[in-house]
Amino acid sequence: MSKYQYNQEAVENLKIEDTSILDRLVDFDSAREAHRKKEHAKVDKRMSLKEAIATFVSDGDCMTDSGFAYVRTPHQAYWEIMRQGKKNLQCIAAPNTNHSFLIFNGNCDYSHNSYVGVEMRGIDRNYDRMLRAGKVKILSEWSHGGVALGLKAAQLGTPGVFSKQMLGSDIMKYNPYLKVVQNPMRSDPDPVVFIPALYPDVSIIHCQVADKYGNAYIYGPTVNDVATAAAARKLIITAEEIVPEADMRNRKGTIIPFFYADAVVELPFGAVPGNMPGYYYWSRQWWEKLIRFGCASDENLKVFFDEWVHGVKDQFDFVEKLGGAKWIAESRIQTKAAEGDHEDIDFSYEEYTRTHDSGLYY
Amino acid sequence: MKDLSAPANPLEMLAYILAQQIHDHQIVYIGTGIPMIAGILAHKTHAPNITMVYESGGQDPLPKDLPWSVGCPFTWRKAPAVMEMSYSFAQCYNGYVDIAFLGFAQVDMYGNVNTHQIGKDLLHPKVRMTGSGGNNDLASLSDNLVLVGVQTPDKFVERVDFMTSVGYLTGGNSRKEAGLIGNGPTVVISQCGEFDFEPVTKRMRVKSLAPGWTFDFTQQFTGFELLKPEGEIPQTPMIPDDMLKLLRTEVDPRGVFTTMPTA
Repeated sequence: MSKYQYNQEAVENLKIEDTSILDRLVDFDSAREAHRKKEHAKVDKRMSLKEAIATFVSDGDCMTDSGFAYVRTPHQAYWEIMRQGKKNLQCIAAPNTNHSFLIFNGNCDYSHNSYVGVEMRGIDRNYDRMLRAGKVKILSEWSHGGVALGLKAAQLGTPGVFSKQMLGSDIMKYNPYLKVVQNPMRSDPDPVVFIPALYPDVSIIHCQVADKYGNAYIYGPTVNDVATAAAARKLIITAEEIVPEADMRNRKGTIIPFFYADAVVELPFGAVPGNMPGYYYWSRQWWEKLIRFGCASDENLKVFFDEWVHGVKDQFDFVEKLGGAKWIAESRIQTKAAEGDHEDIDFSYEEYTRTHDSGLYY
Repeated sequence: MKDLSAPANPLEMLAYILAQQIHDHQIVYIGTGIPMIAGILAHKTHAPNITMVYESGGQDPLPKDLPWSVGCPFTWRKAPAVMEMSYSFAQCYNGYVDIAFLGFAQVDMYGNVNTHQIGKDLLHPKVRMTGSGGNNDLASLSDNLVLVGVQTPDKFVERVDFMTSVGYLTGGNSRKEAGLIGNGPTVVISQCGEFDFEPVTKRMRVKSLAPGWTFDFTQQFTGFELLKPEGEIPQTPMIPDDMLKLLRTEVDPRGVFTTMPTA
């Protein structure tokens, strides 16, 4: 007998036979226990990406990550998960969409969705195919704001929050975690949605700068990262640069405290081929090729990932394929210009289309 | 090179009509695509003092090139503040946002929106699309919500395949009874013109029609029975030549969001 009372209509609509698969995301007791037991001492947690993924991402984990879409997203950690062949992961796609590729690669069987797609680059035909082929099972549907509130509730140290989002919509019919209740503070009818605090097993956060203990500095939109860092049972910090602790003490801005972190990975170009604020712009042609060529069919996507994931050893290899030093120089100027820290530049480029592949990725 | 003197295409018309919904000094909640174009167009013309905010958290960025992602640097370029995502939606709830724009794959006669899928079954859709993103949040929390999209009978449907976001639910008072705040969508904009909602039934009604569009012709582009306003139907204003030129040379010079897709 489960200790959780899920929204029964949603459980039935989603055809979830054994609801224990849902438990870990709302299991506060085990999350608190994990936080109590993890290393509280300020110790050096540096390790390689390989070791961090091997040690702290376990088969069956409920996983989330950092950034927004393809901005400050830990793509290189994703590729490593694919290379290591992790199994049965649950992924929270809020707001990231990259778990679609883990599904294709056989790493992820379950998804919690708030957004699937590549924004202005279009819908994700791979996820569409995976869903219709039964290769991924949806465990819950959300809005961005709904899942952000669930993660925030965990960071705030509360059992959950009440919201006015998602009321009356079909999302409520496909989310076992949500319940409509009467606002206890009001005498007139006032339906509100109870959103429970959400506790992912593991969060991977890529940031600009961290120290060896795991104090992590983020520049640009933090999105849900401070919340997931606090909530997750295990936290992997990957950073463009590892700096001395004194440097972290002098920084002003958003900092994740060290004791959340289990692993610290120095990972320059960890968000490649996405955008890393302050460091590099995203490779637009790479994404166009992924969406327009790769996602068009299973065969194409296999060819694409054989080349770009399984065919590369690490992120340096990846950068070499994008154009090496020339790519680094171009994308650094592009991101600075986009952020307003550089003279205006021309953002035009040679777009990838199905009939024209310049082979350039900057 | 694009022909600067060609007549406005439907997407350019949409951008213009959308821009006209924005008033100077407003706080405008913006997504990517046509709403972004409209925001920049309004900013460069009649509303130079608007403040744009984005769901990934950017507050009052300096506009520049067109963002491809709601998180990309153009949404927080030199922004004095960047909020967390849960807080950026809270700004709608707490009454700070004056106008918000949403797109749709389907919209129904009560202004309910679908961005999830084509087909009724979530587990076996005909086509899975993006899902909510911030669509439901804005629809649930905003006062002045503008829906924008291209109109066909497949997109303007009697009942959405999946109700991602609530407009007026089943009409009448049902939105309020469901507990949602805000007034629901105020206007729907398509290449055919503008639509509002009849105050009692909350059914979609023609507000104005673009040049060349009649009520009967528009009805053929609609999958449900449109309501007709009393009296003569006003004409949706055309984009003036100088604004069209601005749109093509400065706002979206590469035609990223205002080029009609080819089959």
